Amino acid sequence: MSVNATAPPPRWSDRLDRWRDPDERTLALLLLAPAFLLLALIVVYPIGKLIFNSFFDMRLSGGRVPRFVGFENYLLVFADVDFWNATKNTVLITLITVPGALVVGLGLALLANMPFRRQWPVRLALLLPWALPLSFAGLIFAWFFHTDYGVANDVLRRLGLADAGEPKMWLLQPGWAMAAICLTIIWKTSSFMALILLAGLQMIPRSLYEAAEVDGASRWQQFWQITVPMLMPSIVVALIFRTISALQTFDIPYTMTRGGPGNATETLAMLIHKTTIDYLDVGYGSTLAVCMFVLSLVITAVYLKRVGNAA
Amino acid sequence: MRAIPSFTDNGRGLRLLAAAIVVINGFFPAVWILLTSLKSEAELVSTPITWWPEAASLDNYVRAFTDQPLLRYLANSVIVAAGATVSSLIISGLASYAIARLNLRRRQLNLTCIVASSMFPLVTLLVPIFETLRSLGLLNTYIALVLPYTVLNLPVCTLVLVSFFQGIPRDLENAAMIDGCTRMGALWRVVLPLAAPGVFTAGILAFVNAWDEFLLALSLNSSPDMRTLPVGITLYQGEFTFPWPVISAALIVAIVPVALLIALFQERVVGGLTQGGLKG
Amino acid sequence: MRRAHFVGSLAALAATLATAPQRALAQARPIAPSTATAPSTPSKPSTPSRPVKLRVFAGGANQRPDLMRLLFAEYSRQHPHVSIEAESGGATSDLQRQYLSTVLNARDPAIDIYLIDIVNPAQYFGAGWLEPLNAYLGPPEQVMKDYLPAYQRSNVIGGQIAALPAFADAMLMYYRRDLLEKHGVPLPRTWGELATAARRVLDAERDPALQGLSIQGAPIEGAVCTFLLPYWSQGFEVSDAAGRLTLNREAAARGLQQWLSLVDAGVVKRNVAEVKTPDTVNEFKAGKVVFGIGWGFAWDRFASDPDSRVRGKVGVMPVPAMAGGRSVTCLGGWQWAVSAFSRHKAEAAQLVKFLSSRPSSRLLATRGALLPHTLDIYTDPEVLAAVPWFRDAAAVIEGGRSRPASADYGQVSDAIRTTTSAVLARTKTPEQGVATIASRLARVMR
Repeated sequence: MSVNATAPPPRWSDRLDRWRDPDERTLALLLLAPAFLLLALIVVYPIGKLIFNSFFDMRLSGGRVPRFVGFENYLLVFADVDFWNATKNTVLITLITVPGALVVGLGLALLANMPFRRQWPVRLALLLPWALPLSFAGLIFAWFFHTDYGVANDVLRRLGLADAGEPKMWLLQPGWAMAAICLTIIWKTSSFMALILLAGLQMIPRSLYEAAEVDGASRWQQFWQITVPMLMPSIVVALIFRTISALQTFDIPYTMTRGGPGNATETLAMLIHKTTIDYLDVGYGSTLAVCMFVLSLVITAVYLKRVGNAA
Repeated sequence: MRAIPSFTDNGRGLRLLAAAIVVINGFFPAVWILLTSLKSEAELVSTPITWWPEAASLDNYVRAFTDQPLLRYLANSVIVAAGATVSSLIISGLASYAIARLNLRRRQLNLTCIVASSMFPLVTLLVPIFETLRSLGLLNTYIALVLPYTVLNLPVCTLVLVSFFQGIPRDLENAAMIDGCTRMGALWRVVLPLAAPGVFTAGILAFVNAWDEFLLALSLNSSPDMRTLPVGITLYQGEFTFPWPVISAALIVAIVPVALLIALFQERVVGGLTQGGLKG
Repeated sequence: MRRAHFVGSLAALAATLATAPQRALAQARPIAPSTATAPSTPSKPSTPSRPVKLRVFAGGANQRPDLMRLLFAEYSRQHPHVSIEAESGGATSDLQRQYLSTVLNARDPAIDIYLIDIVNPAQYFGAGWLEPLNAYLGPPEQVMKDYLPAYQRSNVIGGQIAALPAFADAMLMYYRRDLLEKHGVPLPRTWGELATAARRVLDAERDPALQGLSIQGAPIEGAVCTFLLPYWSQGFEVSDAAGRLTLNREAAARGLQQWLSLVDAGVVKRNVAEVKTPDTVNEFKAGKVVFGIGWGFAWDRFASDPDSRVRGKVGVMPVPAMAGGRSVTCLGGWQWAVSAFSRHKAEAAQLVKFLSSRPSSRLLATRGALLPHTLDIYTDPEVLAAVPWFRDAAAVIEGGRSRPASADYGQVSDAIRTTTSAVLARTKTPEQGVATIASRLARVMR
């Protein structure tokens, strides 16, 4: 290493300064380290094993020895009727519940933001769906929609909208069962959305609205031209996670209908669960999981670009 | 303090209706569970169904506490969720700051990697995670759950915090640093207070995700004294029985602390600290 | 710690409150004095050895962990160097399967003994999770000879003993003895006769909430039995001894159609595809069902639950047959198995032998009305004194068949139960349903 005649030799105090106030690159690495270390410890090995297993015919039942089959599992997936049915159901649930939860969540957030004398009942009501463990939300709503003992039919009967002798069998008809499931999911997740949007609403400077009022803009215009654009980052974040979760919907359809009637409400996550846990077909289950990952990645890539570029 | 002008300044009736809708939507299932917890099983299968219990009794609560160590489960859930929240906030916070603020090559890639980890269904990652934690000797400890929950919360918290940090103008930090703060000092003194709603949001997200989680809790912390609530509550069932009244009582016990927590912190989340955002 | 103290005091308070209602069950049933003494096992002088701790994974409430703990205590008394820790995790078969598939997949040695459902030994043994017991207990012909034949088949795989029975169970036909007597209706022997009998009672009682027959149509494991009962009754089997598919489509379709015609006659309710086992039990218990198919545990609930409205009014009869067929029933029951990854296999095998022994079965029968796994216990005078209805149950159990044993039982069960439920929900016709079942089973059973 050549000695640079003009630069003074590094002193102790300089080195200390670099630790106390590191340059951006080093700092960035330090800050990201814990997160990536944790990821490496907990999920990198499992994901790696998952991808690895997807290339094997690995069925634990019957004492079969795992056999390398390359892409054969993936070819099987494309020919699998159950896979396409489950994917169709999953995409349908995603397309309904993501915008649904957004609209309902936005509405709830706006409502909760209004000036009430006592704010806490409204805000508590907003977030209470969350306190209910997910595994029981499905059971409770399945009960609400029960033909004989469900509140839904009882209310319809009391309102005179339904014939007492022929109560609606909500969960036994594919269309209505799907509707009931989507309603439950929207109920549970709109508070998630509302929470994120509410925090975003708080960050909008009041001065913008004041200026707009002075300029004579109507409240509707204010909403579309100030609120929505300023909320966009929050909306995008909320949408990303709602979408990823929607693609992985499991608990609610599982507890409400078990995928029934037939497999009319079976989602991709349920199929994976069944394949891995009930059939003990780890290889094929891993393949399905990789397919789900690719689906999620493709769908959210658009969102992520948006968030990444916004910086 | 309002962030948006009310649509119905003069329509107090409409506002009350709006409030009623929100309150019914949120409270109805919880109230239903409460009423169920006071009924008997035979009453639940009577037609037409009853809303108010015929003979309200607290028997189910007594059974809920004696059939299972419910309070122990509650304590475990609280500890694990609190630990996961703190851990998530710290680790996500640091990572989010790096992604949002610092001059990072491949920022997009970092973010995608973090978010991508949530795109795999947990059920397929279960066995390797179990093996990892077992080989570290961590099974049936609080850490066994706090670590994976932090990882599960990483994507959500990171994205939320990134978007909040991005919403704060850089000038404020630069001003602070010109005044002599280090970067970390600026983060602590300037950015975090301003992003407080985001921090509390991420905190509540992390808390409730940890509170709800079932699969990992079932597999990793199976010993009776380390079980969490979602797992514990399923144990009231039998192979062929599902005692709704007792389970409802247990659910009420599970919901109440979280509801209290929310009631206490909703003020903070919705804007106690920021007074409606930044001026100017 | 303060928290522990608070928990302790609350628990103590609650315990005093809870003793009364909770175990009134035990007091209601006369307990023959001799069973209170130790069940005598063929005594092997317990050689002093290193202390061993065995961990047993027993199911949820229906598997009576309280009674199992009595058995464990007795075993520890006889073998002081063995201490037993019971873990009742996984309250249902589903949750248990979820938990076990993780733990066993990871080859975890933490648990030594499992209490598993009758359909699981074939599957778990095939996956290499259960330790064959031949080396510790003897050859199957000798060890299994006293148990019910069905268990000899389901627990012995390829000549290896995979599990020993804990207690039996079967689908019984419960009926309201009082209602049938009141209207002078004889006991039906075929489904046709049952339809007539039920209709007579329904028309006479004129109660819109009363159901003629309650069966399980939800896509749960019980739906496999709902499919199999009329099918088996016609004399057919789903698979042969080699595990090959032998499904007779017409018979299967006739069986499914049989249920649908009962729905059309108003005997079975329209939303039968929503009915799970707890629903049948609760509705029968509330007095709203004339005939109900349920597992053996239900008797205890009808007789002893404080809110039961049918106490003393329940009878047990053989499951009706299809016209021209035989009466058969579906066997259940739980089995003790030793984990292949246990570190104390020899001791575990001995404990399993004790838990499946005749005296243990008698204790479970008298104290918990759990059906014995050995036929002559049903006619044991002490047992009959405690549970007189076992006399009727014995005849039913003898005609019991177990579901198709297969290493791929997960897929078999899923195919049958989801399709049966779909047919009952009328989203598929019986013929379509049978075609689906046949094609899916063909993939699994070659």
